[in-house]
Amino acid sequence: MLKYVLKRIGYMIVVFFAVSFLMYCLYNLIPQDQARMELEPIKSTMKPAEYQARYEELRKEMGLDDPIVVRYARWMGLTKDLKGNMKGLLEGYFGYSRYFKQDIVEVVKEPIKNTIFINIFATILALGITIPLGIYCAVHKGGKIDNFTQVLTIVGYSIPTYIIALVFIYVLAVLLRIFPVSGMGTPGANYTGLKFYTDRLYYLCLPLIVMTFGSLGGMTRYVRASMIDALSMDHIKTARAKGVHEKQVIYSHAWRNALLPIIGIVIGWFLGIFSGSVIIENTFGLSGMGSLYIKGLNQHDYELTLAIQMFYTVISLVGALITDLSYGLVDPRVRIDK
Amino acid sequence: MKKLLAVLLALLVLVGCTGGNGGNEGNGGSDVVNQIIYGSTTELNGDLGNAWWGNNASDALVRSLINDYSVIVSNQGGEFIENKTVTSGVTSVVNEDGSKTFTVGINKGLVYNNGEPITAADFVAYALVAYSPALKEAGGKVSPDTVVGAPEYQSGATNVLSGVRLIDEYTYAITINPDYLPYYFDITYASLSPLYLPMYASADLTVKDDGEGAYLDGGALVPEELDATRNIYKDRVSAGPYQLEDLDLGTLTATLVINPNYAGNFEGVKPSVEKILVVKAVQETMMDQLETGAIDFLSTLTDGSEVQRALDMEATGNFRTVHYERNGYGAIFFQCDFGPTQFIEVRHAIAYLLDRNEFANTFCQGFGSVVDGPYGLAMWMYKEAKDELAATLNSYTYSLDSAVEELKAGGWVYNEDGSDYVDGSGLVRWKKVTAEEAGDYQFNKTLADGTILMPLHIEWSSSEGNSVSELLAVMLANGDQTKAAGMEINQNIMSFSDLLNYYYRDASEGDQYGVKTYGMYNLATNFSAAYDQSYSYTVDPELLAMGYNTFFSVDNPLLDKLSMDMVYGVESGDNQAYLDVWVQFIQEWNRYLPAVPLYSNVYYDVMNAKIHNLECNSLFDFDQAVVYATVE
Repeated sequence: MLKYVLKRIGYMIVVFFAVSFLMYCLYNLIPQDQARMELEPIKSTMKPAEYQARYEELRKEMGLDDPIVVRYARWMGLTKDLKGNMKGLLEGYFGYSRYFKQDIVEVVKEPIKNTIFINIFATILALGITIPLGIYCAVHKGGKIDNFTQVLTIVGYSIPTYIIALVFIYVLAVLLRIFPVSGMGTPGANYTGLKFYTDRLYYLCLPLIVMTFGSLGGMTRYVRASMIDALSMDHIKTARAKGVHEKQVIYSHAWRNALLPIIGIVIGWFLGIFSGSVIIENTFGLSGMGSLYIKGLNQHDYELTLAIQMFYTVISLVGALITDLSYGLVDPRVRIDK
Repeated sequence: MKKLLAVLLALLVLVGCTGGNGGNEGNGGSDVVNQIIYGSTTELNGDLGNAWWGNNASDALVRSLINDYSVIVSNQGGEFIENKTVTSGVTSVVNEDGSKTFTVGINKGLVYNNGEPITAADFVAYALVAYSPALKEAGGKVSPDTVVGAPEYQSGATNVLSGVRLIDEYTYAITINPDYLPYYFDITYASLSPLYLPMYASADLTVKDDGEGAYLDGGALVPEELDATRNIYKDRVSAGPYQLEDLDLGTLTATLVINPNYAGNFEGVKPSVEKILVVKAVQETMMDQLETGAIDFLSTLTDGSEVQRALDMEATGNFRTVHYERNGYGAIFFQCDFGPTQFIEVRHAIAYLLDRNEFANTFCQGFGSVVDGPYGLAMWMYKEAKDELAATLNSYTYSLDSAVEELKAGGWVYNEDGSDYVDGSGLVRWKKVTAEEAGDYQFNKTLADGTILMPLHIEWSSSEGNSVSELLAVMLANGDQTKAAGMEINQNIMSFSDLLNYYYRDASEGDQYGVKTYGMYNLATNFSAAYDQSYSYTVDPELLAMGYNTFFSVDNPLLDKLSMDMVYGVESGDNQAYLDVWVQFIQEWNRYLPAVPLYSNVYYDVMNAKIHNLECNSLFDFDQAVVYATVE
């Protein structure tokens, strides 16, 4: 087991460096002159000669004329930066955001908190509904509720989240005025304690409903299909023939078998709490990782977007390892010591 | 199963009901009625460190609302005037070396929001921080060249800023580098704002002047400390109509309340709206936010459907709108040093081939207009010279015949093989050009006798997902009239950054960008209150290489001269001289036509009907206009 984990970690390091180099090169292929962008706001306050001098100085300061491998090594922290410090990704320094004019760690602080806050609720809510619903539909296959759920989930699965969000906003916020259209809290309210959380949850209700509705389709159908497969297995028939209680057949015998294909997705969902939903966050005006990522791209702040992507790369690599390990835990037939 | 579903639904309803009280407060049933919730489509970054670091629009709005007392401000018409609330007078003297010294008197009795007095030292402190090497190291971008001694001070060669003097407790002086004079807007150089030094340094710094210039005594500025001031939200010391109560990056909301110590704007007007909240408005749903009371004010709507909805909302009596002309325009920009667009007749022909009124009407959906030069309809210069411009400017009224005439006059009268062009043939026109005119334009053809022919084929660069480009493609590039005139326009869709690299011919980002490739681009631009077009039409090869003249109007030194003379050849205060040159510049521009103006939007501000007297315009923004507003 330990040997397997160490081997996987070794692979992860190789993949991490390969991905980081590829992504760094890709972002640097984008044609833009960062020094020019930096100086553009004050260009009109300078005479041309001064502008040119400042421009060249800035290019040097930013190391833009160095070969890409040198810049990558500097960014990664494999070599000293232009100020002579070992300060890169490997040293825990995620870089500097040109748009926010701040260290990236500072920039992501608030958005990642918001994203985690939203996603924890969304994930629990979605799993809390989809798993029981999927099981129920599988057990009562062909029943009224199953048919209704099939229609509902196919609708939720087919319609883009963006459209779902706009429809829900129109109905629940504009027509019925139950929830606010967007935002994360009552403007200027300065609530504290419980009131703060209820206010925050009130504002997040609509995004959570949309996120949950959008994710119902896929997961419910997946659980249902997995359970139907499990319920058709011979040992289930045997258990029933032996007179085992139906609840025990479903939750003890069938569910454990159905869990194997689902567990990867469930773990993925939990790891996904760090990544923001670009569409939901932008539609509801939430300050999260998704909207930050889009802002970074729109503002050509590639050091920021690169840092976010590297963070997700690490999460994905760790997630893949955890998923593989969990297969072994759930299903003794899966051996993970090789 | 049923129980679980019931519990979850109950939880949602419970949260909705308990939180709903809070939500209703923001939805119009607020405890604080006398407030305006300003919806901004730009997310707050929370950078309050002047404009030295970033230029995020929402941050700039908050900064403007909490900082005032600039010595020179622009009024409702965009005119630069002395802020009489702040200054007892500004005098100037031209020195022997050609530099100019402005001496500024500061009124007594001004205080920060914390009650501490404001003196001339606070204004000098602004310069000492802005031009400091520490600020530069902290990533602040301030150009020091206009002020005498500032470059040396910024480089760290000296700790004395010789061009800024603390004369006495209520007087400071600032000396401008002669290289930047005369300058029509030089009065703006005299302008400084108060800066509360204890917020910018932990050391006990004081501003001193021993006769050689101002300096900071008692320690040094630290880059990290300067950087940290950008994000001070609690008890932030400022001197504007409002003070910061809270800035929450979690909810992207800034809360501002009236500064009780504010002495008034340049007209002595103090705000009466108690609270202003700057919140995020989502482009797709901002009209819903307004309608449901989540926000009270939206500015500069241009989209036709949004404007129409705003007008419909106004008809209910619950909302009101204010509209004004944009101080800027969208246009087809040419590069005038290669290919067909180097010829004035071709540029004219393109203008004639586009029905600009129809274009503006379609694109702005009825909420826009057409201009005939690089000006905005709100400018005082335009208002003054309106009749003269109307009589002298060519409006290039849509006409295929006029376009063909221009092309014929310009020598576009050949076929590809050198034979005479027949009107209506549907073929592309060609022109005999000299080797110099031909340059290395890739579509040229050389006949056996050595004659070089250039086709009337124009490569057009347009950015992706751009509705102006889409309409231009339909109305111009693919229009029947364009083909009938013998012209071919080939649209090339690319990313905006790619477009800009070609536009600036920025070879540092790739050799391909340094090659003359596209003759026309569609872009939009705005003008600031200081209408300064200097260097934008330079014919100096070095400046051209630095990207100063993106029109590459190298064959028009007059345009260069007029654009420079307009600001660098006119003494400040001589409005008539400025206006005269401005009119000549516009006329020459209209004749030479380095760009074809397409549209100038009409901006709509829409607000809750409870707000009165909030009259913004394109030269007088919300932060300036809100002090006149009332909420009833």
